[in-house]
Amino acid sequence: MFAAIKSIVLGAAMAVASTTFAFAEDYPKKPVSMIVAYSPGGGTDTAARIIANYMDKHLGQRLIIRNKPGAGGQVGFSALALAKNDGYTIGFINIPSIFLVKMLRDDVPFEMSDFEPIGNIQLDPVVLTVPADSPYQTFAEFAEAAKANPDGLTVGGDGPQSNNQLQLVVAEDTLGLYVNFVPFNGSGPAITATLGNQVDASVPSASSASSQVKEGRLRALAVFADARYPYLPDVPTIAEASGVKVQNIGASMRGVAVPKGMAPEQKAVLEEAFGNVVNDPDFVAHIERLGLPLTYMNAAEFGNYLSSAEAGISKYVDLLK
Amino acid sequence: MIENLLLGLNALMTPMALFAVTIGVIGGVVIGSLPGLTSTMGVALLVPLTFSMPPEAGLAMLGGIYLASTYSGSISAIILNIPGTPAAVATLLDGHPMSQRGETTRALALATFASSIGGMLSVIALLLLAPPLAELSLRFGSPEYFLLAVFGITVIASLSAGTMSKGLMAGAMGLLLSTIGSNPLTGELRFTFGLPSLYDGIPMVVSLIGLYSIPEVISMISKKTFVVPQADIGGRRSAFSYLGEVLARKGNVLRSSLIGIIVGIIPGVGCSVGGFLSYDAAKRASKTKEEFGKGSPDGVIASETANNAVTGGTLIPLLTLGIPGNPVTAVLLGGLMIHGLRPGADLFTTNADITYGFILSLLLANILFVPVGLIFARYCAKVIMVPREILAPCILAFAVIGAYSIRSSVDDILIMLAVGVVGFGFNYFAVPRAPLVLGLVLGTLAEGELARSLALVSGDVPAFLLQLLTRPICIILLILCAIALFQGVVQHRRNPHMLDS
Repeated sequence: MFAAIKSIVLGAAMAVASTTFAFAEDYPKKPVSMIVAYSPGGGTDTAARIIANYMDKHLGQRLIIRNKPGAGGQVGFSALALAKNDGYTIGFINIPSIFLVKMLRDDVPFEMSDFEPIGNIQLDPVVLTVPADSPYQTFAEFAEAAKANPDGLTVGGDGPQSNNQLQLVVAEDTLGLYVNFVPFNGSGPAITATLGNQVDASVPSASSASSQVKEGRLRALAVFADARYPYLPDVPTIAEASGVKVQNIGASMRGVAVPKGMAPEQKAVLEEAFGNVVNDPDFVAHIERLGLPLTYMNAAEFGNYLSSAEAGISKYVDLLK
Repeated sequence: MIENLLLGLNALMTPMALFAVTIGVIGGVVIGSLPGLTSTMGVALLVPLTFSMPPEAGLAMLGGIYLASTYSGSISAIILNIPGTPAAVATLLDGHPMSQRGETTRALALATFASSIGGMLSVIALLLLAPPLAELSLRFGSPEYFLLAVFGITVIASLSAGTMSKGLMAGAMGLLLSTIGSNPLTGELRFTFGLPSLYDGIPMVVSLIGLYSIPEVISMISKKTFVVPQADIGGRRSAFSYLGEVLARKGNVLRSSLIGIIVGIIPGVGCSVGGFLSYDAAKRASKTKEEFGKGSPDGVIASETANNAVTGGTLIPLLTLGIPGNPVTAVLLGGLMIHGLRPGADLFTTNADITYGFILSLLLANILFVPVGLIFARYCAKVIMVPREILAPCILAFAVIGAYSIRSSVDDILIMLAVGVVGFGFNYFAVPRAPLVLGLVLGTLAEGELARSLALVSGDVPAFLLQLLTRPICIILLILCAIALFQGVVQHRRNPHMLDS
């Protein structure tokens, strides 16, 4: 009896396995398109195109980038949520932007449950920088000045309602210091304003600030991440610099997600392909030359990060309104 | 310097690099002349292609696209009265009237040579004066940007030749429309009707397509335009013979180049502002002001010289400080990084061969787009001979495709058509359209920078006003604004009939 059940179960499992195998063998039969919620030429688009460049080898099909820019990513994220879940439309999503869009606006036509994670590719933390000739040599000095003069120091950054501003308000709240946040049209202009001493400090993304820091035109006081930033190994994390643990939910992550309900076999194929791309030495070399941070998380890890980030962000999102 | 130039020349003189720059120029000319295809898009889409090229070839190709597409927006502006890029709006003001009176080839040739000379002078500035000029880009804080935008807005007076009150209305409408989208400080959404397509503001290129192409289509269908016999198509006179005409206007060319270079150095301002400001300056300096807007060669030369001079200007902060002033240079920065080139002093020493090779390839591209552009334009000009019942639907189709292609958005087609209806109304009541474009371009800049200036002083208005009166660049800009307004008033008193109809 037991043996019979065992054989049935085994047989069924094998049957499932073989159909899965056949299915996976089939997929993808044609090029897969990946929605990017930002314009050609931006940071997200560049990252997506580099990945697409190395994807043929690992997916067996081309990965085609479809730019759907607009409304700070809302247009593209909505398109992904509404896309067919037949496995041929996937998307590059940005965290925390996708949460901020959802939480700060009315009538956003997607729910976070409309997406299923495949893997995270990049993690680009926020970094606190000051001009090279700034009086603040360390984060402690900056924090002391900020505490002595609440809302007195100007800090530029991408914004409003950006991941950079989110990280700054989280840090302000946790460390009990308050500054005057001034929004710029992106990390680039905020860095330019810092170089020109138009602001006391700025909170750009680490990837856009790292070459200015290496050239010695900016000084980075702290990086808002759990680990040091690979391209700025001398810059302490905020925990090292302040002695307090700050939730680093402002870090900009770029990962791959699919519309919900996609066949698990297809998701497995995609997860494996993206996992292989990030380990492809040519891809890694390419990314490193551009100074882009690579932080891979598989579907499960990425999913966990998404839920913890959602909880963290919802706690602070009111401070951005 | 000489040694570095020779190293650069050596890097450039490979078949691959020369081929790349040629392809870039040809692609750029085509991209720029088609409304809806922008240089940013062209450069961004070709970057992956350059990954596998040697650095000097890859960069030469991107540079070629950038320069050639900035120039070629003038082709459709002159021939069809539809600017291919925002930078060609000021060119259109005089370029199209020239074309209408049968001087298409002359207008195209002037635009081509002016672009080439402006571009070359700006590359020479990049070569010789990059480090000191780059400092300027850091001196521009929010109060300076705000005053620059205000100064730009005074150009409305020049763009509304003969119809001052209508021009002011159009400019005010542009400023109002520029407030659509998110509040620069709080991110709050305004006047969007809940349409996500309007969250980022009225899309500039989309509205430009609607504003200029739809009225053209309607007037073609309603048989309001007539095909003008073209004296000079088919080439009784070679286009090259117009080079002398551009060179003879030394004052205009030098002034416009200087304005273009300075505007280029200031991050985030852009080619169209350069074109507008130098058009205005040329008009003020001209002895025949009344010809502007009716087909003045000086207008075409001023606008085209300046918008191409911006290109070299934008590369100055890019190569010396790593500051990209516009989306195209941001993509170019990525192109530099991919080849391991980090902007800064290193670029001009350790990597001198590639950097100087790149700068020389820009000079080459500025020369190369002259024959490519002239040949291409010669065929484009034949479009004028196409019967309008065929041409009108073609333009409409291009307008729809162009509007859609920018963000792959159907909403953008509707926005384009809506703006087109406004444009038709403008045309019908003889309201100039250029002030509307200027208002749209500068309104966002002026509002954002005013808000930022106030945020920087925690909302302290007296402190902000004190900044305007004490920062050196602010003082210069205030004086320029005062002169512009004063001149406008004086002119208005002298020739009321000319300014107000």
